[in-house]
Amino acid sequence: MSIFYDLTVSHFLVLAAALFAVGIAGVLLRRNALIVMMSIELMLNAANITVLAFSRGFAGNDEAAYQGQAFALIVIAIAAAEAAVGLAIIVTVFRTRRHSDIDRLTMLKD
Amino acid sequence: MSNLPISKCLMWLSASALALLVIVGVEPGIAFAATEHAETTANTFHNSKGAAFVFWAFAFASLGGSIFVITRSNMVTAVMGMVGTFFAIAGLYLMLYASFLAVMQVLVYAGAIMVLFVFVIMILNRPEDEPWAVQGVLGKGIAALGVLYLFKRLAGILWEVKDTHSLVVEKAKLNVEVVLNHADVALVQELQGLGIQLRDTARVCGESALAICRTYEFGTVEGVGYTLFSKYLFPFEAVSIVLLVAVVGAIAIARPPDDEEEADEAATKEAS
Repeated sequence: MSIFYDLTVSHFLVLAAALFAVGIAGVLLRRNALIVMMSIELMLNAANITVLAFSRGFAGNDEAAYQGQAFALIVIAIAAAEAAVGLAIIVTVFRTRRHSDIDRLTMLKD
Repeated sequence: MSNLPISKCLMWLSASALALLVIVGVEPGIAFAATEHAETTANTFHNSKGAAFVFWAFAFASLGGSIFVITRSNMVTAVMGMVGTFFAIAGLYLMLYASFLAVMQVLVYAGAIMVLFVFVIMILNRPEDEPWAVQGVLGKGIAALGVLYLFKRLAGILWEVKDTHSLVVEKAKLNVEVVLNHADVALVQELQGLGIQLRDTARVCGESALAICRTYEFGTVEGVGYTLFSKYLFPFEAVSIVLLVAVVGAIAIARPPDDEEEADEAATKEAS
């Protein structure tokens, strides 16, 4: 079973695709805003795995070898900022509505 | 798990069986192409069985942890599953030779962001009435099928990717170029005596220059830091501004309005 023993860059990419699909399922299927935010973090991590795998598999012998890793670091920083602002919004919504159910937050739609 | 109903167990069993069918049976192209690809290519990441075992362990841990996260109705359990998932993903980063990113993953995600989530759960502290947006076994089955189809399409594209060269044999090296005076032969000879590799980089630095090629191991703090502070200095600084704005914005959004504060103060005064 060489597919199990010979690891290629595709193994990491397919695993990232699976994590991304699970994250999309969490965003679409759950109604709790906190779970939705955790799923978004999961999708960002899947994208990071993809970036790092491509960086590892295709990096040459120069500065471009680190483009993917620098990019992934920036993605992590942006994810931290997004989590802070998103959680603040959730707390504010909960304070006024006493729930964080995203299917019931339809004030702008109605 | 003792209170898990049998219908739920059956649903997940059938969903996983369907997943296997879709991935292996219905679409034999992926599986066959995969084995051919793995046999023909010599450019693999790690050729040892131990490395493969570690990869599959981290893969199952991260995937199982993520599925655990989106299926729990208890929020604290979900966050703990998320922490485990992030640790497994940090292990995958290590397998991709991104040791600095792995440390950052543990510090920022498993350390900071998940603690923030736990704090918010402690503040909210309210069980949800109906956690799922779709009701019934049929709706969840359709949703699982849709997710599996999405995964199949994504994986079908990504599985075709072939890496260009093996990085296990020869590690990628970052060339840090330090411009030297061309006439400084003694210094060059001294550096060569110290084992520092030199090369002529006239195409980069002009005709009157030599360069020291300092080699960094792939994924270390030195390598990432050099790239981040030289070529990507502007994005780095822009991220710091974004973080500052996010901190100020989070405080501005989350702090209670003034009238509510005054009302609270009045209430405490009355109580005392």
